[in-house]
Amino acid sequence: MEFAEFAATAAEIEGESADIATIELVAGLLADAGDDLPICTRLVQGRVFPAYEATKLDIGPKLCYEALARAAGRNVAVDDIEARVADVGEIGAVATELDLGGQQGLAAFGAGSQSPLTVAEVADELAAIASASGSGSRGTKVETLFGLFNRASDAEARYLARIVLSEMRIGVGEGTVRDAIAAAFDAPVDAVERALQVTNDYGNVARVARDEGADGLADLELTIGRPVKAMLAQAGTVTEALEDWETAAVEWKYDGARVQVHDDGETVRLFSRNMEDVTEPLPEVVSAVEDAVDGPAILDGEVVAVDGDGDPLPFQEVLRRFRRKHDVARASETVGVRLHAFDCLHADGRDLLDAPLVDRQDALDAVLGDADAVRSTFWLADDTERIEDIADEALAAGHEGIMLKDPDSTYSPGKRGKHWRKRKPDVETLDLVVTGAQWGEGRRATYLGTFELSARTDDGYAPVGNVATGITDEQLATLTELLEPHVTRETGQRVEIEPAVVFEVGYEEIQTSSTYDSGYALRFPRFVEVRSDKAVADGDTLERVERLAARQG
Amino acid sequence: MASFLMDGGVAVAKMFNAIVSADTLQATLDSVSVLVDECKIHLNDEGLEIRAVDPANVGMVDLTLEAAAFESYETDGGLIGVNLSRLEDIAGMADAGQLVHLELDEETRKLHIAIDGLEYTLALIDPDSIRQEPDLPDLDLAAHVVIEGKDIDRSVTAADMVSDHIALGVDATDELFYVDAEGDTDDVHLELDREDLIDLTPGDAHSLFSLDYLQNMNKAIPKDAEVRMELGDEFPVKMHFDFAEGQGSVTYMLAPRIQSE
Repeated sequence: MEFAEFAATAAEIEGESADIATIELVAGLLADAGDDLPICTRLVQGRVFPAYEATKLDIGPKLCYEALARAAGRNVAVDDIEARVADVGEIGAVATELDLGGQQGLAAFGAGSQSPLTVAEVADELAAIASASGSGSRGTKVETLFGLFNRASDAEARYLARIVLSEMRIGVGEGTVRDAIAAAFDAPVDAVERALQVTNDYGNVARVARDEGADGLADLELTIGRPVKAMLAQAGTVTEALEDWETAAVEWKYDGARVQVHDDGETVRLFSRNMEDVTEPLPEVVSAVEDAVDGPAILDGEVVAVDGDGDPLPFQEVLRRFRRKHDVARASETVGVRLHAFDCLHADGRDLLDAPLVDRQDALDAVLGDADAVRSTFWLADDTERIEDIADEALAAGHEGIMLKDPDSTYSPGKRGKHWRKRKPDVETLDLVVTGAQWGEGRRATYLGTFELSARTDDGYAPVGNVATGITDEQLATLTELLEPHVTRETGQRVEIEPAVVFEVGYEEIQTSSTYDSGYALRFPRFVEVRSDKAVADGDTLERVERLAARQG
Repeated sequence: MASFLMDGGVAVAKMFNAIVSADTLQATLDSVSVLVDECKIHLNDEGLEIRAVDPANVGMVDLTLEAAAFESYETDGGLIGVNLSRLEDIAGMADAGQLVHLELDEETRKLHIAIDGLEYTLALIDPDSIRQEPDLPDLDLAAHVVIEGKDIDRSVTAADMVSDHIALGVDATDELFYVDAEGDTDDVHLELDREDLIDLTPGDAHSLFSLDYLQNMNKAIPKDAEVRMELGDEFPVKMHFDFAEGQGSVTYMLAPRIQSE
C-alpha cells in the first residue's frame, strides 16, 4: 500500500468523530491493506512494532525536528520548528507547512528507481532507525528520517511525523482496531479479543482473522517468551467482596513490581508490566525460578525488593533494579529482590487463561512443587474477621495490604475488573460520630457544614478531623435538617452537636497531630454517607484509628 | 581501474590478508564514513572497491584502492560488510606511517587487525543487512572545474556562515566558477577565475545543494588534492580526487535541491 493512501485514510479517520464510522474507516483500511495488513494495524495506532516486542522507536523530538529542518526549505532551523510546535501544539500540522521535499534524490538522476513511499518502506526505514546503534548512529537516524520526510507529501508528512513521535492521535485505540479487525474480516469480536489477549500482536491477529477466520483465531495460543498484558485490580473492600462472592481468595498485596515469568523449560525470561525484558537486571529471580519451576510455564507475580534481613523495601528500590543495566552483581548485594508468584497462565503445555483462579492455583502448586520460596500466599476465606487477620499479618510483615480475588474468575489480560480487588489500609473508611459543625458562608449560610468528627474513647469522644468535602448542596440541606435538632451550643458560626449521627468518612492517611486532643488527624477526609444504620455506640474507636495509623508504617 | 562492482549475487569473501599503511587505510575509511556508518567492501585481485549511498539517497561515494597501494595484498575475491566507525576507531590507534595488518578469519567471520602488537578482532556485518549499493548514474555534465581542495573548504566555510544551502555554478561567458549562499539577512558570493583554478571547461551550470552534505564530503577531501568537479544546470555535482599517491580514487556525487526560491 502506498503511504499516501494510508495518510488519506488517516486524515478521514481523524476528521470522523463517531465511533462506529471510525471503526468502519479502519476496517476499510485493513481490508485494503493486502500484504501490508500487519503494518497497517500498527501504524493506524501510531505504533511501528508489535506491542510484545521490546524494540522501541525511541526517536526524540529533537532528532525529529532536525530531520524536518533538513527536509524543509532554505534556512529552516531546529529552533524554528521547535517554536512552531510550541505555537501550533502538534508536530503533524507543523510538518505540513514546512515545504518539505526540496532535496532531490539521486534516484531522479538514474541512481536506483524512484517510486512513491509505501507503508512497508516507512516501516522498514523506521525499523532501521530503531536498530541503529553505536557511534555515528545518531547521524544515520537523522539522515534516514530526513530521507523519509524528503519524499513525503504534506499529507504524508503530517502522519509520518506523528508516527515518528508516537503521537498519532487520530482517535484509534486498541478497542477500535479490535472491532475493525472483526468488521473487516467478519470475525466475532470475542474471538478477536481473545486472540489479542493471548498473542498481544494486532498485526498477526488481523492476518489470521482474514486468512483463517474464527477457527484460526481460536487456535492462537500463548507463546512462552512473548509477554501478555497483566490482569489488573481495582480498589475494593472486604464487605463488597464477600457480598459478591461469598468466599474470597485472599493474597498479600506486595509493594513491588509486576513481573511475568516465562520459562520454556530451559531458559527463563522475565518481563515487566509494560512488557520490557527485565531478565538481566534480576538474576536472583531467574535462578530462583530455575530452581523452583518445573517448566514450561508462564507465571504472574510480583518482585519485591528486600534488605539484608529479607524485609521488604519500598517499590522504588525494585524500579532502581529494573533500570540498572550494569553492575547487577553489585546492585544485588545491596538490594535483593524476591519473586512472589501468584498466578499461573500456562503450565504443562496448556493455556490456563480460561481456567478458574482456584484451578490456576493448583497448577501453580504443581509447577512450583514445594518451592515455597517464590510462591505468594493464598487463602480462601468467607468471613471478615479471618480476612482482617490476614490483612494485619500482611501489614505486620511490611506489605501493602491484601488482594481479594473471585475464586471462580478467569485470567483476563489487560483488564482492570471487579474480579480482582486491592485493599490497602487507606481504602478503609472510618465511621465517626459528628460532634460539631459550623454554619456556612454566603449562599450556604443557612446550612451546617465543616463537620467535626470524633472517634469513641473509653470515656467519651475525641475529635480526629473536620470534613467539608464530598458533600453536595442537597446533602448539606439534609444533613442540616438531621443535625440541627442535636445542636447543644452555638458560639458565632460554631456549633456543638450532641453525639447522635454517624458519618462514614474516607481519607488519604491518618497523621499524628497536635491539633486535636486525640493526637491524630485525618488527611484529606471526605464524606461518604450517613450511617443511619449505626448508633453512636457502633462508631469506630480511637483504638481503631490508632491501629490503622500504625499499619500505614 | 575498471569497476568490478557487480549487480548482486557477489559471494562473501573467504580469504583476505593485507598490509597497508595507516594513512592510506584512514583516508579510505574517512572518505566513505562521511556518508554512511556501514558499508560493503568488494575485494578483488586488482584491489578493493566501496560504493555507498547515504540513507536518504542524496549523496554517493564510489571509492577504489588498488592492490598496489598495499604493502601486501591477497584475496580470493568476494565481499565483506564492516562497521566503518568501529574500523576507523581501530585505524586511529595507529601512528602515521605505521602498518596495519588485516586478516579475515573465514571460520569466525571476523577481521583480525594488528597494529604493532595491538590486536583487535572486529566482528563483521552480514553484507545483506547493509543498504543496497546504488547504481552509478551516467551523467553528462557540461561544466568541468579542477579546483584545489582548500578552495572547496573555503567555499563551504564561507557559505556556512550565512545559510544551510549553497549554490555552485559556472559562468560560461566570463569563464568563472562561483559560489552563492543566501541567508535570511546576509549573503555570500565567491568567484574563482581561470587564474585561481587548475582547469576550467566552461559550460552553463548552476545547481543548489544542501550544505550538510557538502560539508561532510569536504571533510574527507585533502586540502592539497586536485578535485575535478563536474557541474550541470539543476543537476548533481560530481567531485573526483585521488589519494594514496594516485593509487586510490574517490568520486562523490550529490543530488541538488530544487531551486524554488
